Amino acid sequence: MEKFIFRIHRYDGTTKWVQEYQFPYEENKTVLWALTKIKDEIDPTLNFTSACRHAICGSCGVRINGTSYLGCKTPLDEIIETFDSKMLTFEPLKNYDVIRDLVIDWKPKMKKLKLVKPWLIPTEEGSVEKGFKQTEQEFSKIASPTDCILCGVCTSECGQLNVNDGVYLDPFILNKAYRFALDSRDGSSNEHIQPVLDNELWKCIHCMQCVTNCPKGIPLTDQIAYLRKTTMKMGAKDNQGARHAYAFYDDVKKVGRLNEMMLPIKTDGMVKTIGKRVPMAARMVYKGKINPLHMPKKVNGIEGIRKIYKYAQEVSK
Amino acid sequence: MLAYDVVVVGAGGAGMMAALSASEDESLKVACISKIFPTRSHTGAAQGGINAAMGYRDSTDSPEKHFKDTVKGSDFLADQDAVEFFTTKMPEVISELDYYGVPFSRDGNGNIAQRPFGGASSPRTCYSADKTGHVILHSIYEQCLKKEVDFFDEWFLLSLVVEDSSFTGLVVMNIKTGEIVPIKAKSVVIATGGFGRIYWNRTTNALNMTGDGTAACFNIGIPLKDPEFVQFHPTGLASTGVLLSEACRGEGGYLLNKDGERFMARYAPEKMELGPRDLVSRSIETEIKEGRGFGEGMDSYVLMDLRHLGKKKIMERLPQVRELAMEFEGVDMLEEPVPIRPSCHYMMGGIHVINPETLSTQIEGIHAAGECACVSLHGANRLGGNSVADVVLFGKYAGIGARETAHRRSYGSETKLNQEAQVWNKKFETIRNKKTGKNIVDIRNKMAQTMWDNVGIFRKEEEMATALKEINQLIKDYKDTYIGDPAVRYNMAFVNYVEIGNLLDLAKGVVMAALNRKESRGSHSRGDYQTRDDANFLAHTLVHKRENDDYELEYIQVKITKYQPEERKY
Amino acid sequence: MRYGFFPGCTLESAAGELMISTKKVASALGIELIELDGWTCCGASHIQDVDEFLATSVNARNLALAEKLDAPLMTVCNTCTLMLRTTKKDLDEDPELKKKVNKGLRESGLEYKGTSEVTHLLWALIQDYGIENLKKLVKKPLTGLKVANFYGCHIVRPPQIMGFENHRNPRSMEMIAEALGAECVDFDQRLACCGFHAVFPAEKEVLKLTATNCISSKMAGADCMVTPCPLCQMQLDMYQPDAQKGYSADIEIPILHLPQLIGLALGYSPEELAINRHIVNAVPKLKESLGV
Repeated sequence: MEKFIFRIHRYDGTTKWVQEYQFPYEENKTVLWALTKIKDEIDPTLNFTSACRHAICGSCGVRINGTSYLGCKTPLDEIIETFDSKMLTFEPLKNYDVIRDLVIDWKPKMKKLKLVKPWLIPTEEGSVEKGFKQTEQEFSKIASPTDCILCGVCTSECGQLNVNDGVYLDPFILNKAYRFALDSRDGSSNEHIQPVLDNELWKCIHCMQCVTNCPKGIPLTDQIAYLRKTTMKMGAKDNQGARHAYAFYDDVKKVGRLNEMMLPIKTDGMVKTIGKRVPMAARMVYKGKINPLHMPKKVNGIEGIRKIYKYAQEVSK
Repeated sequence: MLAYDVVVVGAGGAGMMAALSASEDESLKVACISKIFPTRSHTGAAQGGINAAMGYRDSTDSPEKHFKDTVKGSDFLADQDAVEFFTTKMPEVISELDYYGVPFSRDGNGNIAQRPFGGASSPRTCYSADKTGHVILHSIYEQCLKKEVDFFDEWFLLSLVVEDSSFTGLVVMNIKTGEIVPIKAKSVVIATGGFGRIYWNRTTNALNMTGDGTAACFNIGIPLKDPEFVQFHPTGLASTGVLLSEACRGEGGYLLNKDGERFMARYAPEKMELGPRDLVSRSIETEIKEGRGFGEGMDSYVLMDLRHLGKKKIMERLPQVRELAMEFEGVDMLEEPVPIRPSCHYMMGGIHVINPETLSTQIEGIHAAGECACVSLHGANRLGGNSVADVVLFGKYAGIGARETAHRRSYGSETKLNQEAQVWNKKFETIRNKKTGKNIVDIRNKMAQTMWDNVGIFRKEEEMATALKEINQLIKDYKDTYIGDPAVRYNMAFVNYVEIGNLLDLAKGVVMAALNRKESRGSHSRGDYQTRDDANFLAHTLVHKRENDDYELEYIQVKITKYQPEERKY
Repeated sequence: MRYGFFPGCTLESAAGELMISTKKVASALGIELIELDGWTCCGASHIQDVDEFLATSVNARNLALAEKLDAPLMTVCNTCTLMLRTTKKDLDEDPELKKKVNKGLRESGLEYKGTSEVTHLLWALIQDYGIENLKKLVKKPLTGLKVANFYGCHIVRPPQIMGFENHRNPRSMEMIAEALGAECVDFDQRLACCGFHAVFPAEKEVLKLTATNCISSKMAGADCMVTPCPLCQMQLDMYQPDAQKGYSADIEIPILHLPQLIGLALGYSPEELAINRHIVNAVPKLKESLGV
């Protein structure tokens, strides 16, 4: 008989252990079905959270073989196919405090969420008596970010949070800031965005895990690009991230390609670069990886590129 | 001892609205406790919309029309003072939600968009695509964060405490630590949702819709009102019971039997698919019974066909619904019709509320709002789009009511609160260390089976009598159950144990009230009494739990101010 | 087999060895690579932070250059592939955007039509060339060499744009390494991020990541890591001495470009593949395992 073998990471507040459960394989079942079955029929001491069963309450995020899923909407067959095995390892979501077994603590995250003022700061055009006018197009801008169900899958998968000491904002928090910054009824987008900038916005490492795994398909990485762009529009251009982005922007305009030699200097400034990167530069020159005298030449068609820049500027206006 | 002027139990739409409006008064200490993290609450599952006569889409719409539709929908069992208060205030509440940042879908004029819904004479259901409850829940939560409401997430209500006929507070469990804690309170708002889980998996309800607050009130003598009125949503997904939004019918979906016939023509020739929920559910079950459904027995179903709406409309108006059908039924509604069957959806009955404007109960200090309460707004059948509306409006007024009550009252004695906490501590210890006895999951499943088989959409004396016998037996069995988890920290087995106890108590109320209502009205449809009997049953049922755990029925008058009962036709 | 070749900026400087090894391998396999005349930087996920429309336009231009050759576009860099494919998807799915972008391209006599696919050498070898054909050309099987395949993010994520294989458990790198006779080790960080794109603003975190990645592959018993992306290679190799500073355990492990691994099996010497250009010297380990 075919069977599932689940290896579930358990925790009781003091001790951690891995417990194995075996039960008959069934077709067309979800992850949540399996966890519920274990609790109902095999081991009532196993704990996890779940509620709505249809991907709207956000309770049942769990990590299987290192990837985070929303349990209720994930077919076991899909996971079996991915890993080519019916033996699966379950862990609680990463980057959360664990309370027991697969149960994580959301409380600390809400403290962090509050940094971005996750509520509407109404403009004077609306009133509590009459509400607001908002066009269909304006609504469409906030339609997708308000799909967020706070399931925590993005946090669990975030490559920066995995190595961060806790300041960097979880993707769902960035989403919340974005959602209010874009709402035509909100009169103070800076109040949502400034805290994002102050809390390491530029540390996103572009691992694409959040956008890949979000069970609601929210374009989180596009939002990060938007937030960065907006901070620069707000005038915050004098930081490593912004200078780095502009180094690319400027080089392409100038010659079409990146000048790798100058990139650290443009990003960090001359003083810091000399202080920090001389040993690395020396290593690179020694190995022939870089030639300090090499300057990229203008590519063929650079005039056309500059026209594109000019055109893009007009369009973006 | 922890002490709060106002304690709100439940953090769904009603609970958080209550917490928010109670917090308006900054002189008061307000706490909101919830057995789950607030945004997990079941308000979030509401898809289709929220009713208010804004008149944006149809300028002839009015609160008066909304009033009339609701009363008619209720099969004349709703209290008309409550309904009128509700429909008059709803437009204000929608604007308030808009001001709180709820992302409503919009019409071409920049106003909140409205769609037609079952049983409504005008398109008055405001919505946000098909995730209306979700965005409302999150927006209210955001407002609570702004107001710095004191949340106790994953704290579970065990009981309410009354000493010398006076409410003194509540006993709760901090699930995360396993501590059992008494909380002193001047007033409380119970907003713990419905108890559709008496049918366990044959429901659209979340796993934790177990009526904890309703049971807590019931146990201290507040009667259960109209529990026999259980709404079965016509369009549950066939294989899981998960809800497929009423918006499908609202946007023009067809219901088809196996002959490809739009069978609603037989039951509601004018309104067709847009008939009220009770009528449509019965029509589907009749089709199945008479052999015009697909599949066999428990797996029978009919089809919801949306293909004629076209891709654009489906993608714009029903994107999440489409996803849902794909993920949970494996059907893409752009290509194929979706198999559906009625599923228990909503409890019209609940905690007997005596004043619709303060949501107070017969015990001074205890208020109740939302699905756990019976105001009675919905009477014998709730209209789609009236539940999220109920939740925000009555949640708000319950908060105001509780705020005023808190000013009138002072903290009571701690004696009984401490005793009650001790009782629960002992119970917790005993239960978690018990190693043998009846299996709690079996008890739960047997309860669901008998409720579905015998107290479902069509009801009969004999079957219900069987159910009553079985429920009584299960209540006995429950006393000798064990849970199999000795842990103190995050012991969900214990929480589930208490929940199942609550469900059993409430299920018994449902059966008794249903047995004794010898007529068919709204969602309560009896094969042996097929017509409405206003002479004998134009009345609310009150189920009392007496000292010795005996149940007693009483009937009270329905408040009729404007609309005299007439035949209900669609 | 003929491709419009998009080298990407790093191949012109810090990852010069990837240019050398790619060309060697392509010619040995009989793959014609025609470098796009006048290609520009793909934006490397940074230009979009300044101006998203510009980032799309610049890459539309790159794609139009490949279309002029009437050939699919091939890269050897994960990020270039992602940037170009993102643009292609955006333009193909949004006719309005395409029209708007083409208006800008028209001034330099170019037009984006959507006729050239964007692929990566890794995919092309499997999809177009065929593993069996590759096997036939192996002269010196890499028997005894244990490799840790470090995919890098942008060759698999996001799957809506990349979609070549299951992003949660890709096999392409293993297929190639095994075809070359090498032994693949499984390690925790196989699908991890190298952190390169944030090495300036998040240096501390990224160095931690570098160390974690190196240690993970070493613990699995690998002789070297192999990656299809020059940015991952740079991060793992160039920054390894800096990443070592925070750790007492030895994290050192050589990092090879995918074409270098292929080149070794095709019989080229490490020097011919410019493996001696790496910061972490791979040659001793290769000599030890392969006797080259």
